[in-house]
Amino acid sequence: MDGQNQYVVRLNDVHKSYALGKTEVLALQGVSFDILKGDFISIAGPSGSGKTTVLNLIGCVDTATSGSVTILGQRTDSLGDEKLTALRHKGIGFIFQTFNLIPVLNIRENVELPALLDGSDLDMPKNERQEWVDHLIESVGLADRMKHKPAELSGGQRQRIAIARALVMRPPIVLADEPTANLDSATGESILALMKRMNREFGTTFIFSTHDQGIVDIADHVIRLKDGKIVENYRAEEKASS
Amino acid sequence: MILFRMAYGNLFLHKAKSVLLGTIMCLGIAVLFVGNSLIDTAIGGLKKMFVEGYTGDVMVTGPTSFPTTIFGETAGGEEVLPHIAAFSSYSERLSADRNVAATLPMLSGQVAMGLGEQVIGQGSAFGVDIADYRNFFSGNISLVKGQWPSGGDQAWIIISEMSAQMLSKVAGKNIGAGEKIVLSALGDTAGTVIREVEVAGVVKFNQSSQELARISLVDADTMRDLLGFASLRDGQIVLTEKQAEFVEAFDPEALFGDEAGADVIADPEKEGIVLEGSGFVDPFLSAVEAKDAAAVPGEGALAAPPEPAWQFILIRLGSGANATRFMDGLKAFAAGLDQGAHVQDWVAGAGTVARTAVTIRLVFDLMVSIVAVIVIMITMNVLVVSISERVPEIGTLRALGAKKRFIRRMILLETSFLAIIAGLAGVFLGYLALMVLRRSGIEAPNLFFEAIFAGKKLVPSISAGAALQAFLWIFGMSILSSLYPIAIALRIRPVVAMQGE
Repeated sequence: MDGQNQYVVRLNDVHKSYALGKTEVLALQGVSFDILKGDFISIAGPSGSGKTTVLNLIGCVDTATSGSVTILGQRTDSLGDEKLTALRHKGIGFIFQTFNLIPVLNIRENVELPALLDGSDLDMPKNERQEWVDHLIESVGLADRMKHKPAELSGGQRQRIAIARALVMRPPIVLADEPTANLDSATGESILALMKRMNREFGTTFIFSTHDQGIVDIADHVIRLKDGKIVENYRAEEKASS
Repeated sequence: MILFRMAYGNLFLHKAKSVLLGTIMCLGIAVLFVGNSLIDTAIGGLKKMFVEGYTGDVMVTGPTSFPTTIFGETAGGEEVLPHIAAFSSYSERLSADRNVAATLPMLSGQVAMGLGEQVIGQGSAFGVDIADYRNFFSGNISLVKGQWPSGGDQAWIIISEMSAQMLSKVAGKNIGAGEKIVLSALGDTAGTVIREVEVAGVVKFNQSSQELARISLVDADTMRDLLGFASLRDGQIVLTEKQAEFVEAFDPEALFGDEAGADVIADPEKEGIVLEGSGFVDPFLSAVEAKDAAAVPGEGALAAPPEPAWQFILIRLGSGANATRFMDGLKAFAAGLDQGAHVQDWVAGAGTVARTAVTIRLVFDLMVSIVAVIVIMITMNVLVVSISERVPEIGTLRALGAKKRFIRRMILLETSFLAIIAGLAGVFLGYLALMVLRRSGIEAPNLFFEAIFAGKKLVPSISAGAALQAFLWIFGMSILSSLYPIAIALRIRPVVAMQGE
């Protein structure tokens, strides 16, 4: 991989505005940053600072008003719905604040779900896929709950399953939108530790948003937003050395 | 497989929606199944009765733009249905057609029956060759009294048991085999023609209704005379000695002279001679003309004998023949002949009863269509509400990489599952209802329904076809109902997944 391809995410002078009634809200105002492959990145800032908007743009679930967003070498503004869906499917894993597990599927099926969408199961032999799913569930410590439904799990357990699901397609990027917001602090810490371990184990780039200063410190790279603008953008080792 | 799991699981997760829609579908299928079975049984019974006993599957009639019943009633109001001019062309065409199992030429009209000066009854009479008729409707007619007329017999009538009873009651004496009665035509076009016929026998129509049980069969030439086709008889006229004398003495020239005919024909009607009415020639006049033609050497020999008049050709199709396709072919043939002959099915030939039954079916179908629209609206609304409740779930699936076709298939599968489960329940419910109805039967409340039911009681048949039809109808409606909710679901953007549940 050459130096250019080390970046899995590049935002260049991105603006995002949307209408709220008759008012135009400027969610992002000229945001630019790059994210290196394999990093553990925190998008920090108070509520309304634009964290989720940034994650939406990186996750290809929303589009910028102006500027360019490049994910895994592809400019998202030039892609149609089908290609954006394919990019999300193969390239990006999602961990949602509210877990968003499918209630009618059991834990194993929930984790396996992305690998079964639209014939993607053909990419991997069934046995190999199931071993991988089992491995992920074991990795998040819920091997004994495989046949349970999401409603039978605690919040922390559900988020662990969401992490396993986010990794099942072996995506280069995993996005986590305030993954600890709905959890108590101890569980939140364990979830972040798990994400960090997965980041190291699989070399996956984790990008998570948080407004909790306490958990920002475990990131390799911190991007701090306020009122839609970057107010801080540093790598942990640079800050430590300074 | 995951789609099946999700679709199946969602049915139970959203119980209220599933129960509401399932109940609507289940009841819809049950009502359709029972309704279709009742109507199919009634129409099937009518069809069997008419096709096997009175009309055949398809018929060619004389020139008319309107459906014509075998009783000679035309929707166009013609008093007498014209004969089929190109009869031999049809005979040739039909005998070469492998779809045709049998044909029967026929005449039909309304006649009054009298005993001397006393009118004792009236009704429909079919002019037929009795051997052909018995052959064509072999399963429907059986001789009760008397004997079948033979080819050489002249001027006969066969009456039904019911007619015999009614005529006897009015006449005050037994009207049966060997009795001579007078027939007179009721049509204006032909004028009043009177013929004396002998009752050859009394028959029973095995499948019949109040109307059909009173049909009489008359020899074809007598019927031609009564209908005004006397010049188009099949056989030679055999005159009595008195008639022969009259013809010998008859001078047509004198008829139009001053006071002419006054001495010759004191009462033309009484003599059975009609001198007015377009196209009508009395058999006596025909005989005169034939005699005159024969008197001129060469003329009689040059004129080809006219084809005997027939108003109908009833056609029985072979098993496996497609009636619609056959009729289309025959209509094209008729159009090519350009004689104005009309091709129609048994329903048109059967008249009011069959048309009423078919109309009831149309009304039922119309009601079903109206109900269908209502059911579609309800189902659509419930599904739209359901989709709006599942926006985060659908958004999550889209965010995880589900393409639009996955969402479409998921909702279609859910609806299909529900339709299949509710459908099976509906078919079972309908089956139970039909079993109850079969046990007791539905009594015809009056003669009208007796005709529609083709009997005094309607015992519905249970057919897999009716069940399948109801099932497919509801299934189709369900799929149709889900199209708009699917369109809404496909508009859900993956970004909603990020906005929380």
